[in-house]
Amino acid sequence: MMTEQGKVLSALLNGQFICQVSDEDSWRFLKSRDNASKLEPHLNLLNRTLATTGEGEVFFAGYLTLGDEERKVLLQQFQETTSSLVPLVEWLLLVQQASESDMPLTMGNAIRLNELQTVIEDTPAYSEQLEKISRYRLFGSTSVNLDGQLKQVFKKLTDLGYLMKPNPEKQIYLATGKVEHLFEVIRFIDETESLSLSEQAEAAIQQGSLL
Amino acid sequence: MSQVLIQAGSRFLNALGRHSELIMHAYVNGSVDESNFSRKVLEQLIQLGILWRPDPQSALRLKSAVRNLLESGLQDERNRNINANIGTALASLKTIAEHYKESLHYNRFNEAHAYMTDLTEHVYQLTESLANSVRVMFSRINNEFGYVSSVEAKIRENELAQGQVSELLNQLECFRFDELSEIAGSNRELRHLLVVALQQSFSKATQELSVAQARLLDLLGRFREFQGRTRLLKGFLLHMEHHPDFAPGNYPNLTQVPVLFNQSAAMLKPASIDVNQVAHEQELQQIVASLSSVYRRKPVVSEPEKASTIDVSEQQSVDLESDPLQEEVDAYFCEVIDNGQSLSALDYFSQRELEFDPEVWIYQVIGDYQALDDEDKQFFAIDPVGRADEKYTGNFVIHDVTLGLR
Repeated sequence: MMTEQGKVLSALLNGQFICQVSDEDSWRFLKSRDNASKLEPHLNLLNRTLATTGEGEVFFAGYLTLGDEERKVLLQQFQETTSSLVPLVEWLLLVQQASESDMPLTMGNAIRLNELQTVIEDTPAYSEQLEKISRYRLFGSTSVNLDGQLKQVFKKLTDLGYLMKPNPEKQIYLATGKVEHLFEVIRFIDETESLSLSEQAEAAIQQGSLL
Repeated sequence: MSQVLIQAGSRFLNALGRHSELIMHAYVNGSVDESNFSRKVLEQLIQLGILWRPDPQSALRLKSAVRNLLESGLQDERNRNINANIGTALASLKTIAEHYKESLHYNRFNEAHAYMTDLTEHVYQLTESLANSVRVMFSRINNEFGYVSSVEAKIRENELAQGQVSELLNQLECFRFDELSEIAGSNRELRHLLVVALQQSFSKATQELSVAQARLLDLLGRFREFQGRTRLLKGFLLHMEHHPDFAPGNYPNLTQVPVLFNQSAAMLKPASIDVNQVAHEQELQQIVASLSSVYRRKPVVSEPEKASTIDVSEQQSVDLESDPLQEEVDAYFCEVIDNGQSLSALDYFSQRELEFDPEVWIYQVIGDYQALDDEDKQFFAIDPVGRADEKYTGNFVIHDVTLGLR
């Protein structure tokens, strides 16, 4: 039997993102400043430190000091992240447009796969978009039918930690804190590279571009 | 007079009941499809003031009074109008209160009673309309403007609602309770209506409206956040479309790596079995017992075989060297055939001075005879030469064989 502290520590050391959706107990544990400061020495021992993202609602372990080895790991991660940005963003927009509320996906939002599938099936533009998304290397679907493509994309996203399936028998997925992390990454890139993405989008909308 | 009014009223209500289908149709669709209903019915409804025609070309519509009645009765969220005209309502309250006081002063009690009823009606109307406005506001907040789909529309709706709330709050400032209590003076009934009832409704409304305002601001913030996110996503895609080779800077190489990109790798691996751990003995035994099969064979490493070159040269011819014993037996057979006379095997043996063991020789002769085809056997006759065993009856000991032609 492991203590709560041990459980949280091992989750962090396993490179997991802890948020209210993915693991509420651990998240609640980390929300307490006392508990977090008790964990910190253990993490520091292994050259790690507790890091947060998504306005302090998502926890993960980062490196305390960066040597060559650590930089190599980070570099590889960063390349993976940037190469999967476009497929992920396209998927986020597809889910948003296909859902009735037109709300962007945020942590804790539920996606009912059956409903989503019906909407995508009924709208040729969405099915084309899904096909395009599922062909990206990140998802790597070779399926020709929509059902297979959608299932593959959702399975991959669950493996990557962006979604979780609370009940294995129901096709309902919840967005986890990693989605928030994704938004922060895009926001960060936007600010650092001064891309002014929002302004570009607004200008395009005003020009009536088909977005 | 009142009898006539009551009759007209019930006629009106009956008409509403009788043509409820038509009215609800008009309520839902906004106008009446005149071809579906009889001309006479429509005329009647127009006369009663239930339907009207805004201008000669347009279709018949419901009168707003009927529409309002339905909206408040059904608590329909389409009703977004908020009656903010409290100033005029207050002014009319004050006027009627003055009438009432005047008629009391001149002891015209009948008139005073009528004014009182009128005033009560007005006060409750005002409190009801306030409560209604607040209810409408909250129902819109609670479903987060679910009646419009896009975030932009929600933001506009939110702004409209905020405008209405501040307008209502402004109007509520028109309540001057010092003036009202002055008008009410020492009259108990007036004081109850103008000060107590109005004040209760006033304080309730202001309290709820301030909550509503906070909620609206909160919602607006969330909508703006959503809008920002959507724009961010769309902008990113647009940017990638215009600059397909865009790559963000190499942040992990900075001296100060941003927290976002500083994510440590997974490091925990499953622990190994410790067979010396006595406490684990039972679990380990169970695990071993539950194994369905134990694999000890090393996996077969199949290396691909090299293609060997095929040698097509002539193979070395093999000479089969016959056994000399067998050759001699063949010669013996031929001798018998050539001479045409029977010949004992041992005689031939001694004639040719052969070097084999005589017993082996006799066995070979018998063996070769037995090995002949049935057809060839018919040419030869083989007779054993021997005697019966001295001790054991039935045993015949062969010393020699004689081969002859039949």
